[in-house]
Amino acid sequence: MRVLVANIEEVFREAAARWTLMAYFILSSLFIIVFASAVNLDIVDGALAGAKLFGQSVQSRDMATGTVRIEDLVSGFEGVFAPILFVVGIFLAIFSTAHLVPRLQEKGTIDLYLSRPVPRIPLLLSRYVAGMTLASLNVLYLVGSIWLIVVWKTEVVHFRFLLSGGIIIFAIATLLALAFLIGVVTSSTAVSIMGSYGIFFLTMILAAHKQIEAALTNPIWIWMVKTLYWSLPKTFELQMMVYSFVAQKELPEQINNGVGLPIATTAAFAIGCLALASWLFKKKEF
Amino acid sequence: MSEFAIETQELRKTFTTPFSSRAVTALDGVSLSVGRGEVFGLLGPNGAGKTTTVKILLDLTRATSGSASILGTPTSDPESRRRVGYLPEGHRFPGYLTARQTLSIFGRMSGIDKEMVEKRAMPLLERLRIAEWADIRVKKFSKGMVQRLGIACSLIHEPEVLFLDEPTDGVDPVGRREIRDLLKEEAAKGRTIFLNSHLLSEIELMCDRTAILRKGTIAAMGRIDELTRRGTTYKIKATGTPDNLVEALTAAGASIEKMNGHMVLNVRDVEHLNELIDSLRASGAMLHELTPVRSSLEDVFVDLVRATDGEGTPASTREVN
Repeated sequence: MRVLVANIEEVFREAAARWTLMAYFILSSLFIIVFASAVNLDIVDGALAGAKLFGQSVQSRDMATGTVRIEDLVSGFEGVFAPILFVVGIFLAIFSTAHLVPRLQEKGTIDLYLSRPVPRIPLLLSRYVAGMTLASLNVLYLVGSIWLIVVWKTEVVHFRFLLSGGIIIFAIATLLALAFLIGVVTSSTAVSIMGSYGIFFLTMILAAHKQIEAALTNPIWIWMVKTLYWSLPKTFELQMMVYSFVAQKELPEQINNGVGLPIATTAAFAIGCLALASWLFKKKEF
Repeated sequence: MSEFAIETQELRKTFTTPFSSRAVTALDGVSLSVGRGEVFGLLGPNGAGKTTTVKILLDLTRATSGSASILGTPTSDPESRRRVGYLPEGHRFPGYLTARQTLSIFGRMSGIDKEMVEKRAMPLLERLRIAEWADIRVKKFSKGMVQRLGIACSLIHEPEVLFLDEPTDGVDPVGRREIRDLLKEEAAKGRTIFLNSHLLSEIELMCDRTAILRKGTIAAMGRIDELTRRGTTYKIKATGTPDNLVEALTAAGASIEKMNGHMVLNVRDVEHLNELIDSLRASGAMLHELTPVRSSLEDVFVDLVRATDGEGTPASTREVN
């Protein structure tokens, strides 16, 4: 426990000293300010009389008749912003925590840590928990602030939007596990970031694996696409889940595997990455 | 409980490159034991295997074969490092931490609680003369100050065994003396100190025993005075010696050379020396001084390092007791 607390403290001190915390706060705040100023709702007697997004009136047939429920409109706004927060949250988190392992493994630094009576796996995992704590707090700040703004402007309380932060944190946990694995192998922050972002975009493409497979004729390529799809995390599906969960809509048609399999295979990928990173770190010679 | 603080047996380490048949042997059967409370020095030229030995002892790297233990616990067990302090060569503390924060974080990672670290930190920084820098970030420190902080960090949990790799590297001469004095104080408290240094004077001034590594093997090991004693050569100062002394001693199997008011006598062994002294005194000479002639540690070191395998004393077999 002492090791975990010491690592979390060190990660936060580093984030503060290197302006990461400040950059995190400023970027997130900018996003929140843009959201707060972009959404302008005109509510009369608890009913929505008009809505503007970035100064443009949002037109709706139901709105014209004045029968649109404000709850529905808020769900719509939140449904649009939650997937954006999903991407913003992941990018900020990976960018600010991917260095944790490469910097630990630097010559002259690693000796200071490994000469302590701490087994290597708990040392690595405590860095992971420290990174996740930092990233999770930022997601909570981002999602929580926007949620509060919506509550303040509309008096509509949708806990689903707040809870969508959990899915974002889950996606970050998965990609950070991958960044840790790449970091242990390469000791390079740049490669860790590139690898994690690369997998993020690749899985976005692989979400259309059925269409890709249908377009392919070579069975080996079809098998490869299928294998990649099922072995890599399902970031696109998670993003769609955020949208569906917040907007209370059905999942898009292309996600025809339900929510169970994407979540389970993504979790398996994260656990696999962490397990492999731990094993390699334990075996590694410095 | 093991009688030794540090023990290695037939340590071998071979570095191999992936996808290549080339292999480099860094250690080739290193066996040594360091007693509790002893100050032990490890000398050797670059690439002799000093750092590899320390890294194996701290489980930073693994031996290809052989075994190593600290205070009786195998080095593969993280518990072996609970009572160990380590100052690596070229260490890099996170520059964003202050000296106090550095001691707090690494102290807790060594198993002591925050209150204890806070209690010990300032007295330790004062001893190392960096107390006024306690709340300044390490990135502002000079090389010598970082080195002092490294020593503080290795002592914060009051370890029984200290591994110090070039502890006075980058420190000015006055600072070196202060660090040496501090380490002597720590040794006097009963801590075992394993000193890895290129500075022969430092080893000479501090260590009870020394090992000289050459090409991954121990070329010599023993007390400094034993290592530097030049075999069976003695310096003699005497008065009232007979005129035919040189001839008489040569006839008795010794070689003698007169220089600057004293004689340098080369004998077969200690018994031979005693026979010659007896006959010298019997001839009416008065003995004023008899001392073994010593080489400097530098001479011993250079001779051993220059010696090639198969020439002179075989590597790893010469031990002086």
